[in-house]
Amino acid sequence: MTTRIGNWLDERLGWRRAGEAIFLRKIPKVNWLHTLGSATLFLAINQVVTGILLTIYYVPTPDHAYDSVQYITAQVPAGWLIRGLHHWGASAMVVLVGLHMLRVIFHAAYKYPREMTWLTGVLLLLITIGFGFTGYLLPWDQKAYWATIVGTQIAGTAPVVGDSVLRIMRGGEDLSAVTLARFFGVHVWVLPAALLLLIGIHLYLVVRIGISSTPKRGE
Amino acid sequence: MAEENRLNRKGFVVWAIGGLISLGMSIPAIAYIIGPALQRDKAQNWLRLGSTSKVELGTPTLFKTKIQRQAGWIVNEEELSVYVRTDNGRDFVAMSNICTHLACRVRWIAERQEFFCPCHNGVYDKDGKVLAGPPPRPLDRYEVKVEDNQLFIQGG
Repeated sequence: MTTRIGNWLDERLGWRRAGEAIFLRKIPKVNWLHTLGSATLFLAINQVVTGILLTIYYVPTPDHAYDSVQYITAQVPAGWLIRGLHHWGASAMVVLVGLHMLRVIFHAAYKYPREMTWLTGVLLLLITIGFGFTGYLLPWDQKAYWATIVGTQIAGTAPVVGDSVLRIMRGGEDLSAVTLARFFGVHVWVLPAALLLLIGIHLYLVVRIGISSTPKRGE
Repeated sequence: MAEENRLNRKGFVVWAIGGLISLGMSIPAIAYIIGPALQRDKAQNWLRLGSTSKVELGTPTLFKTKIQRQAGWIVNEEELSVYVRTDNGRDFVAMSNICTHLACRVRWIAERQEFFCPCHNGVYDKDGKVLAGPPPRPLDRYEVKVEDNQLFIQGG
């Protein structure tokens, strides 16, 4: 039965060939270091799922942000788990993205013809850091508030444009409701859109070009 | 064909791990989403409406009281309106002013001696029985007690 439905769909979608191209492609001899990208992808999916769940209760205003986070953590069933997965997943993702990048550097896997894979990877690294920076403010506790004061102040030290950058990030002179709202908007709309698009390109290139083999001694 | 598509060991392991991860994630997710819907308001204490002397004989009299309701992380103070009626000054009936059709608020029309709901023309008599319109059942009643000439209802 499932085979018949599968065949019916395949005639129309051609998904088996696509699936084979993605999952059954030829790869050179690799080791565990080559799984860092997949591990990062897994965490990204975890962040998307738990992030969507958190928005069901989270309210990004100074009146409600802290209380709604406390409500999620202490009152909602499994809320502690969903928030915990998002919280620790975020840190783990930054670490894994970093390790993934180091592996690519040490294997010199960024060279021709994989420059565009590397470039999209660099953008994905920046997006991940952007997620971390904007997400850190959202619990609206003391740590969140002062970390964002410091973070935006650091951006403000840039020569010439610093003050404008600081004001644009905060949405004014001070860290306020405007800051919280825009950090939330960036965290749940702007960055996810960019992340999904770039992950799509990044994975397309990985599948299309194939991955580089582990360099041999003396290469 | 069927031979080719038989699940081999590797395929089974992949699907089993994927299934476990999905299950491990979706069960907490469902609990998380429906959790607040499963919480019921705890039984309320007796709420004081006011003095029994305010109730006119034979006429439903409107009392208003405040109750505290916890919704998520917010405590709301809501107004509860109750019609109290007595025929002899000793036995009291307390009726909710919430229409049993679609929860609009009914009001007492003295000239007609009827409760009227403006949303869909529901009509009840002085005891809350349905006279006309769409309401499926009489007005809800509260448990009443009188202490020191003060009216109390079991809040809810």
